[in-house]
Amino acid sequence: MRTGILIALVLVGTGFFIFSGLYPMGADRPHYRVTTWMLETLRERSIARASSDIQVPKDLDSPERLLSGGADYNDMCAQCHLSPGVESSDLSEGLYPAPPNLNKQLIADSNQALARSFWIIKHGIKASGMPAWGAGHDDERIWSMVAFMQRLADLSPTQYQILTARGAAH
Amino acid sequence: MNLVKKLALMSSAAFLLSVSVQAHEAAEHMKDAQSPDCAAMAEMDHEKMDMNDPVMAAMMKQCMASDAHGEVAAGDAHGEHDDAAHAEHSHEAATPVTAAVLEEVHQH
Repeated sequence: MRTGILIALVLVGTGFFIFSGLYPMGADRPHYRVTTWMLETLRERSIARASSDIQVPKDLDSPERLLSGGADYNDMCAQCHLSPGVESSDLSEGLYPAPPNLNKQLIADSNQALARSFWIIKHGIKASGMPAWGAGHDDERIWSMVAFMQRLADLSPTQYQILTARGAAH
Repeated sequence: MNLVKKLALMSSAAFLLSVSVQAHEAAEHMKDAQSPDCAAMAEMDHEKMDMNDPVMAAMMKQCMASDAHGEVAAGDAHGEHDDAAHAEHSHEAATPVTAAVLEEVHQH
């Protein structure tokens, strides 16, 4: 009986909180630490489970993949995840949670880390600003982006410019 | 709603969907495409260039492909295009910059 009352009170309280509008929804108000921990743990466990069966191609270090992935990274990712010589952008500063600076964050050379990156690019992440690029890009194109991101942290601004340009040389 | 209106509505939706899909094609990005600054390769420390490094190989491939493309375009403009010559160019550095870089890298 008491348990039933307690559950009913929790449900009514939760409903009141949801409909009250008291929750601060602004992206400039960070979560409590416990909320951040819960969301990050939920995210990482979900991605680890979903990406566990993904097979990583063996040709990720091919120059063709770097060129294909580089041009796509520059067009689709660099505004949020930055590029060599660029420390911040309106999007990297304004989004919450802040998008990782892939210019400084190496992807470990392990199947698990590579599969994780592939899965995130393909499926996106809910309520984070990360789109599901799989809707308009096939797996090969996404793997090429992963291949490029694996080398991104080592690139100079000049190397980045040459690898990501789509036009003819001058 | 009669059949013609339904078909018109479905066609419009299909057209909008196809336009949104095309927007993700690589060719769609070419409108604002930057050119690779291959001249900057000449200023790099060639002693540190490792042709076995995929990054360096990709840079050379990018600049050689762009060089060949530029030459073909110029040749076409003057009516001098030759398929055999083009095939040969696609495997060799076509401009002084990439030729110099290749030569220097091979020396090391």
